[in-house]
Amino acid sequence: METSKIFIGYIIYLPIAIALTYFVSKTLFRNGKTFMIDIFKGKDDIALATNRLFEVGFYLLNIGWALLILKVDSYRFNDTYQNLVEILSFKIGGFSIYLGLMLFLNMYLFFRGRKKSRQNKPVVSQVIRPQSPKV
Amino acid sequence: MNLNLITYSIYLLITVFIIIKVGLICYRNGNIFVAHLVPNDKDFCLRVNNILLLGYYLINIGYAVITLSDWTIVKSSSQMIESLSKNTAIIVCILAVLHYFNLFWITKFIKNIK
Repeated sequence: METSKIFIGYIIYLPIAIALTYFVSKTLFRNGKTFMIDIFKGKDDIALATNRLFEVGFYLLNIGWALLILKVDSYRFNDTYQNLVEILSFKIGGFSIYLGLMLFLNMYLFFRGRKKSRQNKPVVSQVIRPQSPKV
Repeated sequence: MNLNLITYSIYLLITVFIIIKVGLICYRNGNIFVAHLVPNDKDFCLRVNNILLLGYYLINIGYAVITLSDWTIVKSSSQMIESLSKNTAIIVCILAVLHYFNLFWITKFIKNIK
């Protein structure tokens, strides 16, 4: 019956991981719009498009990672519910820490972009004409 | 019924769904970018974007189908989920890396043009 316990574990793990990713990215990119509009000063269409594309990237990366770390090694699994809970907690906790790191990375990118776009403000060229000598 | 066959059909459904969904989102939002890169020729932009989308579909779905050729032998339901998740994860991660790469280049081009 070992396989069936592992199967239960997968059935519990998958929805939790996907729901976590969904909520994190929803929160991050609902608030990320403001940053993007700040970065691409006033160009709303490009800002929103970039935001959406970053959101897709975030989903792909994190769901991909969640699926990659799914496998439970059946040789080390000693077929008790206690072990199942331990393994699941390790996996979900690890995934949640990973998500937190990704969240901070994205926030860092947002802040950096905003800083950069503020640094290179459009240069106002100033023409200084020599004044005519006063007579 | 052979479990491998069930796994293949689930795998194809999932990956083709993900690929088409991501492709459509990128296509719609990418139109705005291409329109900024090639400012005054909307028809040309649409055609370029269409060709890009087609190439993306061909490469990704081709890769997804190729992975079917060496699949592990599936004997139980948990093995089914394992192999499904592993192969889906690989393709999704490749997509993510390509996507970030593209974003990086596109924003760079746009900044250069401005």
